[in-house]
Amino acid sequence: MTPAATVPLSEAPLGRRVRIHRLSASPEVSRRLRELGLCEHAIVSCLLKGHGNIICAVQNTRIGIDRGLARTIVVSAAE
Amino acid sequence: MRESSSTPAATIALVGNPNSGKTTVFNALTGLRHRIGNYPGVTVERREGRLLLDDQRAWAILDLPGTYSLLANSPDERITTEILLGQTPHTPRPAMTICVVDARALERSLYLVSQLIDQQLPLLLALNMMDNARREGIRINARSLSHELGIPVIPMVASRGEGIRELRQALRNGPPPTLPPLEWRLPEPVRREWEELSAMLREHHQLAPPVASHEAMVLLSRPRPESGDDRRFAPVILQHLAKDHQKLDFLGYDRQVMMLEARQEWSRALAARVSSRSAAGGTPSLSDRLDRVLTHRVWGFVIFLGVMGLLFQAIFSWAEIPMDLIGRLFDQVGHLIVGVMGPGDLRDLLVDGALAGVAAVVMFLPQIVFLFLFLGLLEETGYMARAAFIMDRPMRRIGLNGKSFIPLLSSFACAIPGIMATRTMENSRDRIATMLVAPFMSCSARLPVYALLIGTTIPAISVFGILSLPALTLFGMYLLGIGAAVLVSWIFSKTALRRTTPVFLMEMPPYRLPSIRSVLAQTGERAWVFLRRAGTVILGASIILWFLATYPKSDAGTPSEKLQQSFAGRAGRAIEPVIAPLGFDWKIRIGLISSLLQREMFVSTMGTIYNVQTNDDGGTVSLRERMQNDTRAGTGERLFTPLRGICLMIYYVLAMQCLSTVAVMRRETNGWKWPLIQILLMTALAYGVTFVVYQGALRLGLGGP
Repeated sequence: MTPAATVPLSEAPLGRRVRIHRLSASPEVSRRLRELGLCEHAIVSCLLKGHGNIICAVQNTRIGIDRGLARTIVVSAAE
Repeated sequence: MRESSSTPAATIALVGNPNSGKTTVFNALTGLRHRIGNYPGVTVERREGRLLLDDQRAWAILDLPGTYSLLANSPDERITTEILLGQTPHTPRPAMTICVVDARALERSLYLVSQLIDQQLPLLLALNMMDNARREGIRINARSLSHELGIPVIPMVASRGEGIRELRQALRNGPPPTLPPLEWRLPEPVRREWEELSAMLREHHQLAPPVASHEAMVLLSRPRPESGDDRRFAPVILQHLAKDHQKLDFLGYDRQVMMLEARQEWSRALAARVSSRSAAGGTPSLSDRLDRVLTHRVWGFVIFLGVMGLLFQAIFSWAEIPMDLIGRLFDQVGHLIVGVMGPGDLRDLLVDGALAGVAAVVMFLPQIVFLFLFLGLLEETGYMARAAFIMDRPMRRIGLNGKSFIPLLSSFACAIPGIMATRTMENSRDRIATMLVAPFMSCSARLPVYALLIGTTIPAISVFGILSLPALTLFGMYLLGIGAAVLVSWIFSKTALRRTTPVFLMEMPPYRLPSIRSVLAQTGERAWVFLRRAGTVILGASIILWFLATYPKSDAGTPSEKLQQSFAGRAGRAIEPVIAPLGFDWKIRIGLISSLLQREMFVSTMGTIYNVQTNDDGGTVSLRERMQNDTRAGTGERLFTPLRGICLMIYYVLAMQCLSTVAVMRRETNGWKWPLIQILLMTALAYGVTFVVYQGALRLGLGGP
């Protein structure tokens, strides 16, 4: 497996399916992210950006997160 | 709402992720036979209902706060965990548990399900919103899910009542007595330490096996071996724990995620086995398309302002018609009593004390109903989460965040549900900041005060042809409260509550048509709580006030002199030196004192005082007119000048004047520190601003009638 190029979720192109590589927020916040389904290896896609925040889709649900937090979620292209 | 006299029934607990339709299932099961109260010691709302199964067994059903996990940390979610683990005093561990799962989010929900099964809770799974899942091409084999989990799984569409009968049937059959252990796998060294620690907890603290393993898991996953609640555990446990942490860290396990990852691995595999998804059609769902508009950079904001405008329009203008009717109804009742009963103290007590006091408050029922109706609709449709999303950035500028928005919006109804709504916030700094400023939002209890004072003192002049001066004044009072909140929270965010990196993380539920039934049910509950208060606290206080304003009776003198001689008159005079610079006379001061209990008491106090004063042939002259005609003996100067009216309103915008809020603050923050800070701050602000405005206006010669 070749190491894929990684970017923060905040930079991921809209609508593109990406895979979560690593969470680098504080342990407490990371746990919350994981419980909402934003865990390592999960497939997400950014649906829209606006008002300084992002709505992303994961497992059929929509999660709103702020861009600062999205910067701590490292993703790479899925497949 | 009926209380049963039989012995307390065994409890069924409803759990599930937020937005899984848990409350819809609850309403469908209980009909309207439920009540809201509080858990002892905390103000988390406890929603309890009764369920009568066909075999005449009665059950109590508890609707627990929504949660994603039993390890979650907001106060709301902790309650759920504690109830399920049987750690709450006076609430026995539930005999049965229904976990409501949004069928579209099966994989995520299985995480919570696995925790519940590990707790050996007798469990049923209600697989809700099957219609939405089907529409999105998701197929779930409920039978094989049930087989794999070893518990009954009932597919349902609770909003249409589908599957409720089957759920009742399953409840009657009861869940399987013991659950097979789940096949989620921890790495061997971790499992060993976990079992060892669980055994120690069972031995040293006499914990039930499932509770012990839950505690052991929490202990192993926390960042450091030591923590604030160490006194709960024996030293030998903590020593052992320190060694466990060292060992697992050395072996390279990420302790904080290992349990979670193992469970999620299991959830993912299981979800894949029992569900399938037809190739997603390229068209985005309706929710996604709506989101593109409703959270749009420009349109999102425009629509948001429109929604808020509509909300205030409903409260302040549509509600007037029913309010008028209620007012007239009470007048009729008053006339009726006056007609039937002979004059005397008892009649005065009934008409001038009890009836006048209660009427002044019940008048505002329509506004309360409209407000909760709107809030309920916004919540049910899923728009509330979007409003939080949109408001996140502006709220950050002043040291709050998007999640503060819902509590603050609710505070326009009442600061108490507002403060309670902050329980969904995980960050305690954000939570305290939000609670601190919540009482600045003009609540529905202030509305009667504003309405009375504006009606009495502000002339109905139109401004620019379309706006009226009274409406503008009212709007100004709301803005003043918001402004104060902004200022205070900004100052705190720079000082005592310096912010860490604020986080906004919130599920955006799919848009859906609101269930009118459950919105109405909730609104009904709120209205009932309000009415009950009017019938108990306010009724009692009105009678006491009437007594204080009537006795000791002096035979001679004008009604006004009699009032001054009464207990209430004397109390009003006692605080004169402090309050006089604000321009408030002794009658207003009585109002201020009585409304320390709750703000709307000001209106009923005025009702009582002015009825006492013009004790003649029934109340045909409205309170408003009586107050307008009140002049100072001697000078003939009107008491309620526009300036005094405005000053009084400013005082009410900024002052705490609400004992219930203080009590809730104390309970929610676990101490007196924050409520005391809040009281001091609000009192100082109220006094200071009112003083400056009144004295400033007098100096500028604006004190005229």
